[in-house]
Amino acid sequence: MFAALFSVFVTAADWVSPSIDYHALAPEIILAGGVVVVLLLDLFTSENNKWMLGPVTSFTLLGSFIPILTLALSDSGTRSLFDGRYVVDNFSLTMKGLFVLAGYLVVLLSSDYLREGDFYEGEYWILMLSSLLGMVMMASSRDLVSIFVSLEFLSIPAYMMAAWRKRDLRSNEAGVKYFLLGVFASALMLYGMSLLYGISNSTLLTDIGKYVSGEMSAVRAVAILFVVVGFAFKISAVPFHTWAPDTYEGAPTPVTAFLSVASKAAGFVALLTVVYVGFPNASEVWQPVFWIFAALTMTVGNVMALRQTNIVRMLAYSSISQGGFILMPLAIAGEGDSAGAALRAVVTYLLVYAATNLGVFAVVIAVSHKTRSGAISSYGGLFSYAPGLAIVMTIFMASLAGIPPLGGWIGKFGSFQALVSAGTTWGYALAVIGAVNTVIAFGYYGNVMREMWMRPVPDGDTTHVVVPSAITVALGLTTFATLLMGILPGLVLHFGDLANLAGAFGG
Amino acid sequence: MLLNEFLFLGAILFCIGVYGVIVRKNAVLVLMSIELILNSVNINLLAFSLRNGSADGQTFALYVIAVAAAEVGIGLALVLLVYRNSRSISLDDLSEMKG
Amino acid sequence: MGLFVFVCAAAMVLVGAVGVVTRNNPVHAALSLVLTLFGIAVLFVANNAHFLAAVQVIVYAGAIVVLFLFVIMLLGVDQAEDLSLEPLTVQRPLALVVSIGVTGVIIAAVLKSQDALFARGTGIDSATLQDADANIRQLSRSIFTDYVFAFEVTSVLLLIAVVGTVVMSRRQHGQHVEESV
Repeated sequence: MFAALFSVFVTAADWVSPSIDYHALAPEIILAGGVVVVLLLDLFTSENNKWMLGPVTSFTLLGSFIPILTLALSDSGTRSLFDGRYVVDNFSLTMKGLFVLAGYLVVLLSSDYLREGDFYEGEYWILMLSSLLGMVMMASSRDLVSIFVSLEFLSIPAYMMAAWRKRDLRSNEAGVKYFLLGVFASALMLYGMSLLYGISNSTLLTDIGKYVSGEMSAVRAVAILFVVVGFAFKISAVPFHTWAPDTYEGAPTPVTAFLSVASKAAGFVALLTVVYVGFPNASEVWQPVFWIFAALTMTVGNVMALRQTNIVRMLAYSSISQGGFILMPLAIAGEGDSAGAALRAVVTYLLVYAATNLGVFAVVIAVSHKTRSGAISSYGGLFSYAPGLAIVMTIFMASLAGIPPLGGWIGKFGSFQALVSAGTTWGYALAVIGAVNTVIAFGYYGNVMREMWMRPVPDGDTTHVVVPSAITVALGLTTFATLLMGILPGLVLHFGDLANLAGAFGG
Repeated sequence: MLLNEFLFLGAILFCIGVYGVIVRKNAVLVLMSIELILNSVNINLLAFSLRNGSADGQTFALYVIAVAAAEVGIGLALVLLVYRNSRSISLDDLSEMKG
Repeated sequence: MGLFVFVCAAAMVLVGAVGVVTRNNPVHAALSLVLTLFGIAVLFVANNAHFLAAVQVIVYAGAIVVLFLFVIMLLGVDQAEDLSLEPLTVQRPLALVVSIGVTGVIIAAVLKSQDALFARGTGIDSATLQDADANIRQLSRSIFTDYVFAFEVTSVLLLIAVVGTVVMSRRQHGQHVEESV
């Protein structure tokens, strides 16, 4: 009896608990703590005090931004936890900052929307915090298991948020479509991951990246294809975009803003880590795939956006086509030394796109509050009765279209520069397709501007648009960011430079 | 150890699952087909874990099972929600939005 | 002996899988899924992955399939799909072509790389009479050192899933949500 117990202790003694750098994990711990606090507060507050949950959520997000800042300012360099499975480097800190701030803006957009509709409020904040937690983890995950768990962690709350208007069949449909396609995509990705694990005998991306092509390249090509296709669903790349328009239209508008910015950025972050750290010497497999995705995504997104009459559906296709522009530099990332330029272009574009697109949705929420309509024609004559909204909407539309000196221009410029500097025929060809698409995009962005400035007001209803204070703050922040990034591009390019990905291309 | 046979079994199961996802019209049955794909992943992970001599693959399979449980819970809740509002769980009836 | 077990288990897996995608009655499909899951559990046992086999039976066959059956019964079995009213007749053959194509590609890739894949490793610790818990000890060591972060996070994920499922499937009476607090 005692001998048996003793042997248990002896075997337990040679177990060494992993050392944990709590500073590096602080953003995640604060977010997880926020989930629990909001859950308990929601349980013990009366219906009249539920308003405090929104502020608690935003304070949690701002609180988790503090360790991100201190980590960025400390000079201990890259921190690597759990045997390299969780890495905090400048790239992941930049993206964590983006996710947390985008989440803060979405909180500002959601609070009045939730108040007015008949929604469960506390659970909404819990799901949003946990989805953001998943994204923050995704930015640091460097092994197959953590990437898979983070991906599910950020997606599962998002499925439910898309269906949050429970009585509305369109919102239910949005949730079910998003769920089924999302789960299917992650199953495909898992199949690829299982093959990758088999080839390299490790779940660590750095070990997978060490594999030099040889006898197993055929299996590896299949595995890479499955993983890339799995993430293509997440970033709604054509032909895996079919869920996006329906989900964006059916979901509550703040959730659409969240999905089109934060969730998409998380997909790109995962794709960047997997491709840069995991498949650095398989560019012959993924470059053509990204080339096709980028060309198709830009073109199909644009052409479909031209035909839309509903503003949210138009923005859904616009967001798909912007995804194509973000993908563009990846099509040449394996050529010579253009990997760094491509990474910088993608990160810069993501930062600019996040600010601008959140601003657009802030305007859409503010205007639909008055017009109760999603039609683009309901923006007719917006300038005559809400000049402020019309001006900021014009700024955002111009930024999305890529007109200098606004933020969107810097993003597009970086992408094209990366493509051209690679100096390959395929790079030039994609740049030409991108240029044509930039011109097509003026069509639908310009259409909204024309409605606002030149068309008459529908029904002659020129009563003032009441913009809630939270949305005013969000509009101010996003307009400021969009203008600042355009006028002082050095600022955002600085973040792009900072964003060196530890372990990328074996470095 | 029959590594190739395991991988073939995984591949066939995977493709039966994909076939089911494409062909099935009923949301619950689509979800079951997705479970088939996840199981093919587990077969692969087991086979590679044995071949590679590391427990990582089996650990991965455990995570797959745990997350699959969460997914199924959410999925069936969403299906119930749709059924309550529309009295149908056929995916073809879900076509409020087009274009 | 190993081959015999494998062939039997594989037959269970495949027959069950075909049942899942072809049976019209959702209850039959769910029961076919159980057959597949048990076949896989047999494969796990045959290869000394005892803990995984137990989890497969308890979580998958025990909890997940019961959840499926529960929802099917709640919705009514008559919700079965009517194949005669299939609107997309082209979809079925297309799906067949796609699936067989993908299977072919994967099998060809595996065959092409089989020399490298076949190089066998040392195998992981398996339970023996002297050391009955070797397999589970190795698993837990891996979970609680290298994968401990993913483990903690998965527990939060399950909490979120529970909260979300309750909110999603809770019935709303009238316009207000307070009544069920």
